Amino acid sequence: MSVPFSQMWTVASYVVTQRLRGRRRYPLVLQLEPLFRCNLACAGCGKIQYPAQILRKHLAVEQCVAAVEECGAPMVAIPGGEPLMYPEIGRLVRELVARKRYVYLCTNAILLKEKLQEDVFVPSKFLSFSVHMDGVREDHDEAVCRDGVFDQAVEGIREAVRRGFRVTTNSTLFDGADPLRMRRFFDEMMALGVEGMMVSPGYSYSKAPDQEHFLRRQRAHELFSQMLSSPKRQWRFNQSPLFLQFLMGKQDFECTPWGIPTYNMFGWQRPCYLLQEGYAKTFAELMETTKWDHYGRRSGNDKCRDCMVHCGYEPSAVNHTFTSWRGLRDAAVATLTGRL
Amino acid sequence: MPKEAALEGFTPQIGTEVTLEQLVERAFDYRGNVTVIRRDGSSVEGYLFNRNRDVADPFVEMFDKDGHGPLTILYGDIRTIRFTGKDTAAGNSYAAWLRAKEAAKKASVPPAADA
Ligand code: SF4
Ligand code: SF4
Repeated sequence: MSVPFSQMWTVASYVVTQRLRGRRRYPLVLQLEPLFRCNLACAGCGKIQYPAQILRKHLAVEQCVAAVEECGAPMVAIPGGEPLMYPEIGRLVRELVARKRYVYLCTNAILLKEKLQEDVFVPSKFLSFSVHMDGVREDHDEAVCRDGVFDQAVEGIREAVRRGFRVTTNSTLFDGADPLRMRRFFDEMMALGVEGMMVSPGYSYSKAPDQEHFLRRQRAHELFSQMLSSPKRQWRFNQSPLFLQFLMGKQDFECTPWGIPTYNMFGWQRPCYLLQEGYAKTFAELMETTKWDHYGRRSGNDKCRDCMVHCGYEPSAVNHTFTSWRGLRDAAVATLTGRL
Repeated sequence: MPKEAALEGFTPQIGTEVTLEQLVERAFDYRGNVTVIRRDGSSVEGYLFNRNRDVADPFVEMFDKDGHGPLTILYGDIRTIRFTGKDTAAGNSYAAWLRAKEAAKKASVPPAADA
């Protein structure tokens, strides 16, 4: 585990406080999408296929801050689109850091070096760059459908690490991913000096154009087991060890779609980051009127059947860690021994 | 009712080909601009990003072609919806990208010299 103690403590006390208050459903991370514009067009991405007038639009910083406060989650992930293309990204991050939110800026890093050289950001324990890296050079460039992007991202990571920023990587794995190459990729990323890595299986949802290459559940268990069993001591993952065990088939959780709610120019997205089944105007409306029992594996909803993505299951793993002795014990053992 | 890929350019007749509810669902799933034609003959072209049937007066929400909005239109005011814009999700598959990459590779390999 590579999450700093202060962040872990914030999340743990937040979860325990929510439970003590008797809140059954509460958010852990807000996915804030200030824009859908991107400088890449990855085949597995369902976020960028919009008409031109939508791609030109973005949220105002004030709308973003209002959403963060309304939601109340201690962590905010800023994906997109490409957030470094958001004209006010520096001000947005400053506003969120001032509110002591742990911000993960999820970027393909093509513009990272340039923005750092322009001093758009200041290092803070509340800010991490979460760089989209889907594997070794060849695999990443193939996943993002453009040659040369891996090298640009590596340059961005080096510059960010050199300037004292927290840097993590996030990898979405599709069918056909090679476990041995992924292990080599983990070595490479750790050698760059990143704080930790995040992994999640890609999952088919109707609006992503590449339907054939998403991982089915059994195949995902096999892949993650081959990749993560006997993890090397130098590997650090910036995510719950129980979620990694879930990916390997060693834990079973139900989805917690409200754990990582999504806000963008359309409103509060129902029910999760992946499925776009409609929008609520307020966070309260999202929580109160979404038919939550229609989602998750046990609901029998076909769209959720094989899903194992982090936006649904990582909050389940975190809740399990901080609200059950077994969860706490399993997470502690994995953290102390480095074994998954 | 045609499949997703064939919706572009489709102008359905409500009542004979499709119900209003089915049509709104298709427009909601469509990743391109649509034109909503109201009963009074006026129309709005834009991206239909939301619909809600679980309220007393079901409605759709759109950003128009210039990005203004959200505009709210009641189901009861809709005569029909035409799929007038390009489907931005069509033809972007990973397989298509791989095919293009292979073709580019072949094109860049110089032909073998004749003996
Ligand atoms: S970089 Fe991210 S937002 Fe941009 S196309 Fe790729 S997956 Fe989508
Ligand atoms: S299982 Fe959860 S995260 Fe996955 S698609 Fe369904 S609601 Fe979304």
